[in-house]
Amino acid sequence: MRARVLTLCLVAVASVVTFLEAQSDPTGASAQPHTSWVAPGSGGVLPRELVFANGLGRLGVLNMDGPIETKGHPFFEAVGANGRACVTCHQPANAMSVSVETIRERWRATNGKDPIFAAIDGSNNPSLPQERAGSHSLLLDRGLFRVAMPWPPAGVTPEFGIEIVRDPTGVNRDAVYGLGSVRPTVSVFRRPRPAANLKYVTSPDGLFNVKLGVLMDKDPDTGLPSSMNIMADARVPNLRIQAQSAYRDHQGGTAPLSPAQVERILGFENQVYVAQVWDVQGGSLIEPDGPAALGPANVARNAVHVLNSAKTPAFHFFDTWQPAPASDAKAAFRASVARGNDVFVNRRFWVKDVAHINSIGLANPAKRSCAVCHNAQMSGMDLAPGWVDLGTTNYPTWTEPKVWDEASDLPVFKLTCKADAPPHPFLGRVIYTSDPGRALVTGHCADIGAITMGQFRGLAARAPYFSNGSAKDIRELVDYYDRRFDMRLTGQEKQDLINFLGVL
Amino acid sequence: MAVVVAAFDVQVPEARQVAAKPGERRQFLTCPIVRDTKTQPCWLAEYEGQLYYLGQQSGVAGDFYPPQLGHQALVEGTVGEGRVCGGIPLQTVKVSVMRELTPACSTMLPAEDGIEAPPPVVTPRGQAPSWVKAADPANVTLYFDFDNEFLSVHVTSALTAVARHAADVKASRVEVVGYRAATRLSGGQTLTERPDMGGIRARKVAGVLTGLGVPAAAISVSAPDAAERADGVNDPWNRRVVVRVR
Repeated sequence: MRARVLTLCLVAVASVVTFLEAQSDPTGASAQPHTSWVAPGSGGVLPRELVFANGLGRLGVLNMDGPIETKGHPFFEAVGANGRACVTCHQPANAMSVSVETIRERWRATNGKDPIFAAIDGSNNPSLPQERAGSHSLLLDRGLFRVAMPWPPAGVTPEFGIEIVRDPTGVNRDAVYGLGSVRPTVSVFRRPRPAANLKYVTSPDGLFNVKLGVLMDKDPDTGLPSSMNIMADARVPNLRIQAQSAYRDHQGGTAPLSPAQVERILGFENQVYVAQVWDVQGGSLIEPDGPAALGPANVARNAVHVLNSAKTPAFHFFDTWQPAPASDAKAAFRASVARGNDVFVNRRFWVKDVAHINSIGLANPAKRSCAVCHNAQMSGMDLAPGWVDLGTTNYPTWTEPKVWDEASDLPVFKLTCKADAPPHPFLGRVIYTSDPGRALVTGHCADIGAITMGQFRGLAARAPYFSNGSAKDIRELVDYYDRRFDMRLTGQEKQDLINFLGVL
Repeated sequence: MAVVVAAFDVQVPEARQVAAKPGERRQFLTCPIVRDTKTQPCWLAEYEGQLYYLGQQSGVAGDFYPPQLGHQALVEGTVGEGRVCGGIPLQTVKVSVMRELTPACSTMLPAEDGIEAPPPVVTPRGQAPSWVKAADPANVTLYFDFDNEFLSVHVTSALTAVARHAADVKASRVEVVGYRAATRLSGGQTLTERPDMGGIRARKVAGVLTGLGVPAAAISVSAPDAAERADGVNDPWNRRVVVRVR
């Protein structure tokens, strides 16, 4: 019955929403946005085009290959052992990620029984009583899933040692799951990334990682360079391995997914595009003469691997939205978005002490704009491998002082680099961190706190932001950058950036 | 009496100033200074009362990799003429970032009227930059920053050409020899690179060549234990890896 309802609902939405070809205002007040949770195994057809409501407007989801039959599809079926499917944490309504709002609603609707709260990673610590909301606080408050990393990494002699300074969840000192267990493990907590617009995420940069002067990891399936941009710590080289590892680690899978299952998962992931299509203030984002950066159809058709430049800005031009008549609220909002794009591309500030940006020959500090690092057209990622230590997880620039004063559920580790190892370029040899990031894969001091940039699409549908879920809305995200780099953004510049990011 | 070299906090007693004559060699360890301008930031360094211009912010494809605040820099260059961005230009300058932190290196100068960065330097397409000698892919020399094995885009480009050449000629042997070296500072002291720095460089280059398809069995790697002697003039060109394709 549920499956049938879902099918009918999705088809009904599709019947009134056709945003791909940019009709007059198909996503506006007359459209009936779909907001329901897609449960594993619920069946039904995912139409070619869908619209979902969110706080800033509406998100569009575009299946380029046409309607998707979800029944029997391994992305949508609970093929593992814990009732989860890929879709559990990659919801269409949440831009193929999952928002805290959605997670909280699932807790309320199921009294915490939904598989998304599975003890293995949907909990602060599998050893805690799972029926209590407090045992899932990092998921409920920040949208964070536990990522258990073996320590040391296989085949790696780390350049640093790890001590646990604070362990509010108890998992890092846990006898079964902790650093001192039979299988020593470091647990960190991260947001799931959108499983959409993936041609931008998987597009390789070339033979070399220009930031490190080393060869890129190779995709073992093709022999070609990997993008190394898929995961927060770049630990998998392709989507096949990501699917297999997610099935094993998040779904409790035992035997590997079959090649046919993997093919169907990747087939779906590689054709789905998401972007905001309607804004509560700005109206339709996909009008025929509108900005070329907006809407999933534009995301789908744009070339990959286009570097931000004066001629090819990261999110194209917003000329048609600027300037605005002062009396028109919609036009004024659109003008603000256009100014936000200008701020993003052109407003320079001192980028300072960012490992893998300021340490690669670009100077420290470097006077640059947002788009120099977030340089990949349409996604806002980095065309080169994008793991950088922005500072969100490392003292003293981490996202919130309370990580330090014991009011946070995030762990704190003390990492001490060996005397003969190259230190972290801007933090030296003793580093306090809530997530060592890429360093948990490479064992390099220089990688401590380095997290791969995420894409900018569908932000309105998938709060909170940063890998540690510390920015509960776009304003807090912008505020962090303003503080971190002493950007001295005016109130207007901040609002323009917020409006700009909210329509992507 | 103090002489104001820059308009802000770079002040040096007159007695400590040493005139800089064009053509003279300067090699010194110092905190770098960044100066804002209306266009690109300039990088400067003070030595014996003189402010030297090192270069300007550019991209990774540039020939000049600027230093980093928070770290001392080893500056090696030849005194040029005139003033650029308020400093005496050092030509063919090599700037090495010392790897340990020096928090005191934090001087940032605001933009000043009348002090501008020079026009951006464009590296002509196809022309080898100063720190790679790669005209003949069978005999390539790569130069490195002090105590550093980083492979710049110019180096990786040269190594790609070497690997391609080795495949084209079906090379039976590729020799990779890494060198570490000392630098004689203008003040008379000598800095010597870490032991095995030559080996680290050589192994890294050999690893890249292997990754580019050169059979590992065809690659020989060696590195003299002794550091190349410093003479205060040619020191940056002693920190090198030589690759020969046979």
